[in-house]
Amino acid sequence: MSKFLRDNATMLALIFFGVLLAFTSDVFFTPRNLNNVAQQVTVVGIVAVGMTMVILIAGIDLSVGSLVGLAAIGVTWLMQHDFGVWTAVVLTLINGGIIGYWNGFWIARYRIPAFIITLGMMTIARGLALSISDGSSIPVTNQTFQLIGGEYIPVWPSLILLGVMWLLFLYRTAFDIRQRRRYKLDIHLPEIIISGVMISIGIGLAMWIFGSYKGIPIPVAIFAVVALAGVFTLRSTRFGRRLYAMGGNEEAARLSGINIRVTTAAVYVIVAVLSAIAGVILSSRLNGASPNLGTMLELDVIAAVVIGGTSLTGGIGTVGGTVVGAFLIGVLSNGMSLLDINAFYQLIIKGFIIIVAVLFDVLSKRKK
Amino acid sequence: MSDIILEMSGIIKDFPGVRALDGVDFAARKGEVLALIGENGAGKSTLMKVLSGVWPYPSYEGDIHVRGQLMRFAGTREAERAGIAIIHQELNLIPELTVAENVFLDRQTRGFLGRIDWNQLFSQTTALLERLNIRDFAATDPVKSLTVGKQQVVEIAKALSLSADILIFDEPTSALTDKEVAELFRIIRDLKAEGVAMVYISHKMEELEQICDRVQVLRDGKTIGASDPIADVDMDEIIRRMVGRNIEDMFPRREQSEPGPETLEVKRMSVSHPTIPGAKRVDNVSFSARRGEILGVAGLMGAGRSELMQAIFGAYDGGEAAGEVYLDGEKLAIGSPTDAIAQGIALVTEDRKHMGLVLGQSILMNLTLSALGNLSNRFGVVDAGRERSVALKNVADLRIKIPGLDYLIDTLSGGNQQKVVIAKWLNTAPRVLILDEPTRGIDVGAKVEIYKLMNQLVEDGVTVIMVSSELPEVLGMSDRILVMCEGRKVAELSREEATKEIIMQYASQGELAGEATDEQVSA
Repeated sequence: MSKFLRDNATMLALIFFGVLLAFTSDVFFTPRNLNNVAQQVTVVGIVAVGMTMVILIAGIDLSVGSLVGLAAIGVTWLMQHDFGVWTAVVLTLINGGIIGYWNGFWIARYRIPAFIITLGMMTIARGLALSISDGSSIPVTNQTFQLIGGEYIPVWPSLILLGVMWLLFLYRTAFDIRQRRRYKLDIHLPEIIISGVMISIGIGLAMWIFGSYKGIPIPVAIFAVVALAGVFTLRSTRFGRRLYAMGGNEEAARLSGINIRVTTAAVYVIVAVLSAIAGVILSSRLNGASPNLGTMLELDVIAAVVIGGTSLTGGIGTVGGTVVGAFLIGVLSNGMSLLDINAFYQLIIKGFIIIVAVLFDVLSKRKK
Repeated sequence: MSDIILEMSGIIKDFPGVRALDGVDFAARKGEVLALIGENGAGKSTLMKVLSGVWPYPSYEGDIHVRGQLMRFAGTREAERAGIAIIHQELNLIPELTVAENVFLDRQTRGFLGRIDWNQLFSQTTALLERLNIRDFAATDPVKSLTVGKQQVVEIAKALSLSADILIFDEPTSALTDKEVAELFRIIRDLKAEGVAMVYISHKMEELEQICDRVQVLRDGKTIGASDPIADVDMDEIIRRMVGRNIEDMFPRREQSEPGPETLEVKRMSVSHPTIPGAKRVDNVSFSARRGEILGVAGLMGAGRSELMQAIFGAYDGGEAAGEVYLDGEKLAIGSPTDAIAQGIALVTEDRKHMGLVLGQSILMNLTLSALGNLSNRFGVVDAGRERSVALKNVADLRIKIPGLDYLIDTLSGGNQQKVVIAKWLNTAPRVLILDEPTRGIDVGAKVEIYKLMNQLVEDGVTVIMVSSELPEVLGMSDRILVMCEGRKVAELSREEATKEIIMQYASQGELAGEATDEQVSA
């Protein structure tokens, strides 16, 4: 049972705080509020999916916050200069990719510590955002662009989508059990049932939240796609396996024929592109961009990843954990605001939570 | 006898599910070196941990007497105070600090306000080094500038600074060159003359004869036989005690077939030294290997054997590698391990833990790591079903003992871990399999299984190259033997020509005076 506790600590913490807040605040457990929580989590969550990969290979990317800001300024500036919406978005994402490649190039090729390269990029990107915008905010007037962050998938299609997802999940579980039987592997029925119940409750909750409000917000849908793609990549692709191998033992990975340079660079490209996506969503939702958007965001992102159980020394971690970590942070800040806890105290509490999460990680590893 | 200084009797130590020590009895005497030998897993290190207080008193059964007094150590400090010091296999020194600081780490003489008295620190250390007759380094040298052998001397000095009179050496020569071993033995002899009692843990038979007075075998946590004077027992008897059976079938023979065509050909391979400009780790080596044979590569530590293999595999990262590699007559362009694997070359690296396995990950993942390309579709999605069936086939074929594919690789024994590494490379369907120290640190049973596997591979048409520092293994398994010395290929011997003496002579010629060297190079 203690192993179960250790593996699912973040999830249990999320449930615990969710239930606690449902009883202490009238507003918390309403579709409208939970819809807001989901919206707020998306930006951190999308970047955190990429950051999970970075930390998996024992790297770090401090520049993501600035990249979100730069992307927000970039996309709005491009539209201000008469680029079409989709051209502007695509150019912004490409630009994110180029910056990610720059980070990855120095880290992979010259083995410069990721901390230093991305610390430099954090300043450079912020400086670029400030110089492009001349230090002031850029408004968005284009209505199509506003849809990215502000529109909802209508209620019925939303419910159908969630239903299909649930069916896919059931099919996947059944398929997995059948395969495990075929290969004569242990089948841990309690684990399967618990995760099945959790996912079912999660999807049911989502149906209730989005079904009784306006449907699934587009940013949340994008986050869901990114997260699912992340889970799939880490679990089922060669690329994902390489990340685990590199984080676990880079020398063994290299000697096993893994191209360390290319893989490392790819990871930094992925996190930068995801940051650009987050920047686009943010500027769309806010109907404009300020060059200071995303300041300190990297800390929330890293916190979400670490709270989600990814080890800073590399080799251990999942996107699923990160998503739960992001939601835990989101629920806590939302709850603390609802309970009227002073914003200054909120920072202190958040800091302690991060420390406890890392402490938990270190202690549980020592036990092994 | 009154000169018995350390006596351990009836030591039993249980771990959950395993009895690591099951009645150990031995005694060490003043001014004498007692060899403690046994296979890996025989319980040597557990025994030393009991003796040094790492496992404190109530966690084991049995009695430890030091100078006739019953000792119940509650911790390592108490064992130190009783005069017991261990020179560990892995050195525990801080490279950035000087010799003196390491010797007196955290025990420096301090003056007013806790100020460290540097002069006294250096003079005390110098005195210790003088006692050991050391003249080639000083107390003020940083430890990182010393060779491994000299670092070990620092460890010995540290033990003496604790006024230890019972010294335990745990596999002290595993990383030393012959010269350093000779120096270590001189120090041991000097200490013996001073009356220090020493326990020498090793599995190298040759060393025991050279340095030890009595020998005690440990097997399955038990002491086997008495601690007989080394002159009274022959080596075969010791081996029999160690493995508990005769090992005539140690090196299984395979049907001697005609050597096939040359498959791998290496021409003028040179590898630069990672730190010394202009120097070479591998100097202009050319050789070829045939289908249907095992090519043994012998030599001393640092002869450049591993570097040569890494260069062939495109994995040498300490500097430049230049040379040509041909496979079946075709010239290969190998810039990285990825290229080498694609061309059908596989390298089982010498250091399992650091270069072979990804610890902390599952057995499954380690088995298929190099072959993911064959197990995934063109979008890079891994076929989980096929991956598992390949892994299960590995486990069955190589008889790897595992609790399950999803368990951590860390849970396996050394022999089984090594089998996983080999299986990982077999999954890449290599035409040439290079094994670097394939049986280091694994027990005899697993060794024999790996030898059988090598024979099987050779019969299946794989070209096998085996780098090994264990001469019996090289002699027992190879069809041809390449000897390297200081980066150069110094001899190529057939199975019939090769003897232990001839190989050693070639392998150590760099250390002899130069007279014979030149003609032997051209031989």
